[in-house]
Amino acid sequence: MSAAAATTGTVWGALAEFDSPAALYKAAERVRDAGFEQWDTHSPFPVHGLEKAMGLKRSMVPLAVLVFGLAGAAAGMGLQWWVATRAYPLVISGKPFFSWPAFVPIMFECGVLGGATGAVLGFLGFSKLPRHHHPLFESKRFERVTDDRFFISIEAADPHFDRSATVQLLERAGALAVELVEEPA
Amino acid sequence: MNTGTHTGMPHGDDAHAAPSLDRAQVTLKREGAGGLPLIAGALGVVLLAVAFIVGKGDPAQLFHSYLFNWVYFAMLSLGGLFFVLLQHLTRAGWSVVVRRLAEAVGATLPVTAILFVPIAFGVRAIYPWASEAAAHDPVIAHKSGWLAPGPFVVRAAIYLVLWSLLGWWFWRQSERQDRMGALQITRRMQSVSAPSMLVFAITLTLASFDWVMSLSPRWYSTVFGGYLFGGLAMSSFALLIVLALLLQRRGALGGVVTMEHFHDLGKLMFAFVVFWIYIAFAQFMLQWYANMPEETNWFAARLNPGWLPLTRALVVGHFVIPFFFLLMRDVKRVRWGLWASALWLLLMEWLDIYWLIMPSLYHDGPRLRLLDVLTFLALGLLFAGALAWTLRRRALVPVNDPRLVESLAFENV
Amino acid sequence: MAEAVLHDVDAHVAAYDVDRDVDPIDHRPPLILGAPDFHSITEAVARPIEWKPPLGWWIVLGISLSMLALLGVAVAWLFWEGIGVWGNMIPVAWAWDITNFVFWVGIGHAGTLISAVLFLVRQRWRTSINRAAEAMTLFAVACALLFPTIHTGRPWLDYYMLPVPNQMGMWPQFRSPLMWDVFAVSIYGTVSLIFWYVGLIPDLATMRDRSREGTLAQRLFGLFALGWRGSHRQWQHYERAYLLLAGLATPLVLSVHSVVSFDFATAQLPGWHTTIFPPYFVAGAIFSGLAMVITLMVICRVAFKMEHIINLLHFDRMAQLILATGSIVGYAYSTEFFVAWYSGNLYEFFTFRNRAMGPYAWAYWTMVTCNVIVPQLFWFKKLRVNIPVLFVASIFINIGMWFERFVIIVTSLHRDFMPANWDYFHPTIWDISTLIGSFGLFFTLFTLFVRFLPMVAMSEVKGVLPQAHAQPHVTPPSVPYRQEEGAPA
Repeated sequence: MSAAAATTGTVWGALAEFDSPAALYKAAERVRDAGFEQWDTHSPFPVHGLEKAMGLKRSMVPLAVLVFGLAGAAAGMGLQWWVATRAYPLVISGKPFFSWPAFVPIMFECGVLGGATGAVLGFLGFSKLPRHHHPLFESKRFERVTDDRFFISIEAADPHFDRSATVQLLERAGALAVELVEEPA
Repeated sequence: MNTGTHTGMPHGDDAHAAPSLDRAQVTLKREGAGGLPLIAGALGVVLLAVAFIVGKGDPAQLFHSYLFNWVYFAMLSLGGLFFVLLQHLTRAGWSVVVRRLAEAVGATLPVTAILFVPIAFGVRAIYPWASEAAAHDPVIAHKSGWLAPGPFVVRAAIYLVLWSLLGWWFWRQSERQDRMGALQITRRMQSVSAPSMLVFAITLTLASFDWVMSLSPRWYSTVFGGYLFGGLAMSSFALLIVLALLLQRRGALGGVVTMEHFHDLGKLMFAFVVFWIYIAFAQFMLQWYANMPEETNWFAARLNPGWLPLTRALVVGHFVIPFFFLLMRDVKRVRWGLWASALWLLLMEWLDIYWLIMPSLYHDGPRLRLLDVLTFLALGLLFAGALAWTLRRRALVPVNDPRLVESLAFENV
Repeated sequence: MAEAVLHDVDAHVAAYDVDRDVDPIDHRPPLILGAPDFHSITEAVARPIEWKPPLGWWIVLGISLSMLALLGVAVAWLFWEGIGVWGNMIPVAWAWDITNFVFWVGIGHAGTLISAVLFLVRQRWRTSINRAAEAMTLFAVACALLFPTIHTGRPWLDYYMLPVPNQMGMWPQFRSPLMWDVFAVSIYGTVSLIFWYVGLIPDLATMRDRSREGTLAQRLFGLFALGWRGSHRQWQHYERAYLLLAGLATPLVLSVHSVVSFDFATAQLPGWHTTIFPPYFVAGAIFSGLAMVITLMVICRVAFKMEHIINLLHFDRMAQLILATGSIVGYAYSTEFFVAWYSGNLYEFFTFRNRAMGPYAWAYWTMVTCNVIVPQLFWFKKLRVNIPVLFVASIFINIGMWFERFVIIVTSLHRDFMPANWDYFHPTIWDISTLIGSFGLFFTLFTLFVRFLPMVAMSEVKGVLPQAHAQPHVTPPSVPYRQEEGAPA
């Protein structure tokens, strides 16, 4: 409770530190079962199965890839069709203006480019990146999240959040340490 | 294809512990239909006899029908061998629970080999290079030392004997491990798998040149072996899916082969749908582009007004539909999706072989004659009978395989 | 800590047994030796970036930079004087330039194989080398793009190749395979960059969090880390996106070298026009790229003390892949030769006989020796984990694969349909300088990469350590088994 007492400003949420993926996994299940919605786990690498422990829905990135990929392929074929039959028709080696077999490679490449764009935009969009400022970065302890430590953060904005009860929940869930993170001034 | 390195695997002695499997899970119940292999085999032989009587007056029709159906079932049984080789080569863990099914498929290769015999007698009725007229064609005369009935049959015998030996050997070794559980057997199968894969690649290529490509003796395509391989690999995964689903309907393999394994088989099937169109497109586009008459004649025979609809249907049915269907993750994890896609692709493989072979008989467009159906049924029944026999003789899972534990616990990430 | 781990590795290597440590049957071998903890992985990978670089690094950089300077001179002279400075002639036009282009594109392919294809087939050993291999891909593609860019000696006209409205009212001719190349290679470079960068984000965040407050390094790492917090809600999308990028990169890598092969195979020239080219070029590309990965990793793992992360298991797996792809290449050589005879096409067969016995027989047999005979060493387990053998063989394979493109291009062209045109190709000093210079570009970029960015994917390596699993490995349930939905009861 020492961490909780030390704060003076607006609390953004609680941050609990764990020392292993297994501890994080168990704690995540407890936080999920306590009914929290606005919370997250943090780890230096993706912990297998954690989405189940957190009760997350499936990522929608594939949909973005499909839409962008098909659009890219259509644009690739459309460009070639337009250039070869409308903008600049040329007779080359006696082949028809719209020589579809010759247009397949570029159509395919454009489809892949579209799909890759969709994947990266979908990833950034759904995970709300880039976001260079975040209250969690105020925590010194949190620097180890990209090295060897595992964290759970619960936002104060969550209706179930209660300063002391939430900190207690995290401590009982096996946290090494729990601190309250303030909104940056 | 998980070859290597699942770090979550138990290390040390744990892995040796043979998992306790229920007898019902790993064997086929015999009650009722104990004579199924025999009945199917006998019926197949009868139908074959009928086909030969019906086709007596029209050897060209008879032997073309026979050849195309035989190649289809030969590709299916060879697909079993390919799957087994691939799993040993890559030290795969996930696939152990379905490997016995593939071994059983590969073990039917001797039957396939025997069924080649009629083709050996029908060479003159099938292959233009064996006709009198061929001697006057300088291009064909050039290779008369290679494309001649004698060398053709000898080569076929070599391919088929090698495949039969390999198919039989892997099945027997794996079955020995069921009884003895020796790790050394796995080590031996792994060592043999690499050179066998080389043998498989070379013989399949030459076989595809001999049996299929030489139907148009002036035509050549260096990737033709790869084309046939694409369909073979795809249908080997499709056949395993169908077999596992069938066996589960009969109450075996419950909880052994799970949706995780089906999902992986489905992914591989999808991968080879794409591989097939890749090779097919490359072969077509390059010859279309260069537009040299000695090459385009083969495609011209398949793009004439009679054949064009089937050629288009093949592109749509063998690629477009399964591609978009199997692109969806969930259909690879539900039974109806697996049934539909695997059976569909087995049908498409059949159509593909038909499309490769039959234009040399039906010049004006596809036909489906009684003999096509009869030989399909006859060879299909013989294949099914042989497969039912090999499946019944052994456990349906390599129960003492050192990686069975890993396979049973396998989950897609 | 890291020293202790390396000490363990030495002990481990001293008592090495291939069957037990690299290819065991009864268990899966550990991928990272010495049982390191998460933190020591961070330390080992971050060290080359945070420490003062050793003298050796400066020497390599110096040599690379001087080769790069040579490229600058060669290219400047080319632009000043025109392509007459090259050995171009008719019938063998642009032989050297195209050989280098295809060689470098090919090198790139192994990076994508390791990062994408091996990811899809769950080869988790790839985590130790995928970052460096992907970087190699990017730099190789950069070298490859150099050659078409300069090939007219008039690079300010390169925009002719782009589908942009221009003052001439002209548009590119999309039925030309050379246009397919423009798209294939530039999209390949772009997608590889995206894939590499997405994979880097978590590691950039690690470097950000390790950098001292207020330094330029911290700002730059922080900027490119995009505010990564390692949150599982982010990881979840990250992993999906990464999987899909791998799924896209796999057919992409197949298509790129296929398209490169189309440059040749769509022509009617004997020795070029053959349908096996697409898969055969792809296999050859991966084959050569793997050799380059081995060359680079043999040096890097020692120079940066990463023998426990990049260990003999990794080399064994790469050598197996080299054997597999090398066999496909050998298979393609034989098939081509056989079909050249089988086709009954006199020109086709002449070309192949000329390759083996004509004036370029020396190049042909160099190619066969390096690409078909040398990889046969890797049938032997002991040689697959023998570092000196691997290193020497990898260099031979690189040479062989350069010669493969040389043989394909030059031998097919130098005997064209009209004997009056027959000639022998001689590269000039500027041809050779450009080739050496392209290696300078490649090694300069790679040397800078290993110094300034994490050359091993830390977050992925941590994920394959045994302690990375949240739940202790569940032994499979004994009977009765859990029923799948819809399974018969």
